[in-house]
Amino acid sequence: MSDNGKHTNVIVRIQRFNPDNDQKPRMQDFQIELKPGTTILDALQEIKTHQDGSVTYRKSCRHAICGSCAMNVNGKNELVCKTPLRERLDKNGVCTVRPLPYLPIIKDLVVDRTAFWEQYLRVKPWLAPPPTVQTDREYRVSQEEVAAIRNAETCIMCGACYSACQVIALNKKYIGPHALLKAFLRVLDPRDAIPGERLADLDGSDGVYRCHTIFNCIDACPKGLNPTEAIETLRKLAQRRLKVEEERLERQKTITEPIA
Amino acid sequence: MSNTTTIIHDVIIVGAGLAGSWAAMVAAQQGVKDVAVLSKIHPLRSHSGAAQGGIAAALNNVRPVAGTGPRGPLEQVPPGAEPADSIDLHVFDTIKGSDWLGDQTAIEIMCRDAVDVVYEYERLGCVFSRTQDGRIAQRRFGGHSAPRANFAADWTGHVLLHTAHEQALRHGVKFYSEWYCLDLIIEDTICRGVVALDVLTGAIHTMRAKAVLFGTGGYGRAFKITSNAFANTGDGVAIAYNAGVPLMDMEFVQFHPTGLYKHGILMSEACRGEGGYLLNAQQERFMEKYAPDKMELAPRDLVSRSEQREIDEGRGVEADGQGIWLDLRHLGREKILARLPQVRELAIDFVGVDPIDDLVPIQPTAHYSMGGIPTDVDCQVIADASGAPVVGFYAAGEAACVSVHGANRLGTNSLLEASVFGRRAGFAIAEFVKGGAKLQPLGGDPAARQRQRVREMLGREGGELVEDIAQELKTTMTNNCGIFRDEARLRQAWEDVRALQARFRTARVMDKSSRFNTDLLAAIEAEHLLTFSEVIVAGALTRTESRGAHSRTDFPKRDDKNWLKHTVAHKNGADGPQLSYKDVDIDWQKYPPQERKY
Ligand SMILES: Cc1cc2nc3c(=O)[nH]c(=O)nc-3n(C[C@H](O)[C@H](O)[C@H](O)COP(=O)(O)OP(=O)(O)OC[C@H]3O[C@@H](n4cnc5c(N)ncnc54)[C@H](O)[C@@H]3O)c2cc1C
Repeated sequence: MSDNGKHTNVIVRIQRFNPDNDQKPRMQDFQIELKPGTTILDALQEIKTHQDGSVTYRKSCRHAICGSCAMNVNGKNELVCKTPLRERLDKNGVCTVRPLPYLPIIKDLVVDRTAFWEQYLRVKPWLAPPPTVQTDREYRVSQEEVAAIRNAETCIMCGACYSACQVIALNKKYIGPHALLKAFLRVLDPRDAIPGERLADLDGSDGVYRCHTIFNCIDACPKGLNPTEAIETLRKLAQRRLKVEEERLERQKTITEPIA
Repeated sequence: MSNTTTIIHDVIIVGAGLAGSWAAMVAAQQGVKDVAVLSKIHPLRSHSGAAQGGIAAALNNVRPVAGTGPRGPLEQVPPGAEPADSIDLHVFDTIKGSDWLGDQTAIEIMCRDAVDVVYEYERLGCVFSRTQDGRIAQRRFGGHSAPRANFAADWTGHVLLHTAHEQALRHGVKFYSEWYCLDLIIEDTICRGVVALDVLTGAIHTMRAKAVLFGTGGYGRAFKITSNAFANTGDGVAIAYNAGVPLMDMEFVQFHPTGLYKHGILMSEACRGEGGYLLNAQQERFMEKYAPDKMELAPRDLVSRSEQREIDEGRGVEADGQGIWLDLRHLGREKILARLPQVRELAIDFVGVDPIDDLVPIQPTAHYSMGGIPTDVDCQVIADASGAPVVGFYAAGEAACVSVHGANRLGTNSLLEASVFGRRAGFAIAEFVKGGAKLQPLGGDPAARQRQRVREMLGREGGELVEDIAQELKTTMTNNCGIFRDEARLRQAWEDVRALQARFRTARVMDKSSRFNTDLLAAIEAEHLLTFSEVIVAGALTRTESRGAHSRTDFPKRDDKNWLKHTVAHKNGADGPQLSYKDVDIDWQKYPPQERKY
């Protein structure tokens, strides 16, 4: 690959598979011109709109907030919208894009996320509001309490962590890093009324103890979040579940009052 | 395309952004058992999640420190202090921002409901940033005369969307994720359902319902540089227009002043709300010339025009002179990391600049669609300028035009609009359904027409590529129907759009398969862009004045005598739109039109 910028041609190698027609996945090379600033998503778009419209993938916001475009690039899960193609070319000028691993393939780079969303639902992702109903003001939450859940708040449910997890690879019953991170958000939120019930559910054999702390999820997260740490926190809290419940009841007694 | 069935629900909501999610959640909460939501992408991928800066409501949690001026520091309002902000002030700011084209009853309702809606989000688990005493944090935003943008760092839309979706799930709403609405079934101005394509299988289904809501989002994708997601192709407005429903005020398109240079990706207005500057090539804060009082926090239409003027007069930055600098350096590392973490990452990822240390190149970017499907204040869609209803059809959010933004939307008012009116639609629909609304009979097989449409599209061989036509459309819309407009350019845009519509009829879809055919969907979306763009251009060409975001260099003044009215466009066969006009709802005692100065 020459380095003089303008007319460098590079190869994007894409895994293709349409279960209606194909026996098994195959790799297909597409040549495109590398322009400054091209992201991997730009490259896929160029290929789809000008070379082969049947190349299929999900996309939407194109700035790393909608969570549609997590894929496996050169063996690593990432959001293709924010990844510069130039940084993912090997020494032969090739970038290899595959679907997220361990999930059934719908078509090309589109995977079936049914199990992923089922686990999300299983942890009851919604807040269970406190019994003291505050109708005309907000509940009071401290800046420290907000900071404590920031690690989970910005999760975009892209699935990069889920499909990098070695436990998920073997066992789809495992709740998974994404849903555990959501559970962490709810358990730590001072407004949630059922942290004890949540911790009891997470304590089961598909929950927090399944995590083997291999840290793949941390490496994969495009938002820099740390599901492993959240899972470890949940583990500790699960051990003192009754205490957590008690503390929450106590905290909620003053949830409508100004933070001192 | 076999295996098709008729699907029936009490209520079908198309769109799972804030508008659709609120409508679904509230309708279910109000006791409607069978509420279904369709979304062409997974609900949590909806574009509402991309919103950054905040949601407006006069909560009175913070105020400017006395004596520090309009850009000074903020403090939490001490208990018992005089309120610094009010609903009335929010109403006035919105009316002024709209350049008096906003309907004032709707604006009053929105600003009043704002307070409830934001507290409701909080009670439902939304993680907001907080003041020291634990209230929801607020910041300044352009065109608002008090700090009333309630926020969660710079990912406000993300936390709102997740909260609304979670609560809709909690209330048992059924989601059809990755189902694409192709058509709206209306006969005798009664809505009977929709036709939708299951993206996974390619099967096309008739879906009948007693009530249908469109919360299908905006149409920014008709422009070349845009902050909008790929999904924002104005499907809902195009589908409604084709079904005989009028569109209102489509010529009003907002260009946001700070899109990342060349990408258009948004650098939130919160950058300026937190104190950021705009600089030209001479490193001058050029807003001094255009809005000496509000400076960078003047409303978006004015700031974008000022930037464009600097660019046009040769004071732009970057190689092609099409950029402007956004300067955040003086805010300091700590504030940027706490308040603007996402925009910092975006600048690093997309233009390779860390705003803590360097100037960020930006340019105006097509951002928000003020126009849309006209409704009354309860989201009931109207069939004409007289306000007759399209029975059973509702619209809310960016796809709708109620109209609270008039000629120009203020930042943070659209998350608000989508939430407030989505919620109101939920109540209205529940009342309609529980009041005995019936499933209406269908004449013929509406799905068959769509199957035929898809078959025809897939059958085309040869022909041009869809993308090339779409790109030409975006180019002409940007160059000829963009920030500055005039008769010659708009005529050119009209010619171009009509010619492109004709060329599209033979354009080719490359993927012929049924399974997850996103190539087909891109073609349908391009057809939608071509469909509503003619309405934008026709409205802009006819409106011989400058108001809000519609700026005619050949008619530079606002003309209340002739143009204080909404444009209502009906499809008129192949001839393009038929325009009529509707009065603006104005309280002449309280909020008579004034000159708009900042
Ligand atoms: C980058 C960015 C930042 C913003 N920041 C702010 C901000 O800080 N404050 C503010 O107030 N506003 C902001 N806005 C504007 C605001 O986000 C939007 O106006 C608002 O979220 C629109 O919500 P909605 O529910 O109407 O539509 P959307 O959230 O866009 O949802 C549209 C829905 O319709 C579905 N849909 C569309 N077509 C079809 C079809 N044919 N079939 C099936 N489903 C379909 C989509 O899948 C999606 O679920 C911002 C906008 C952008 C682009």
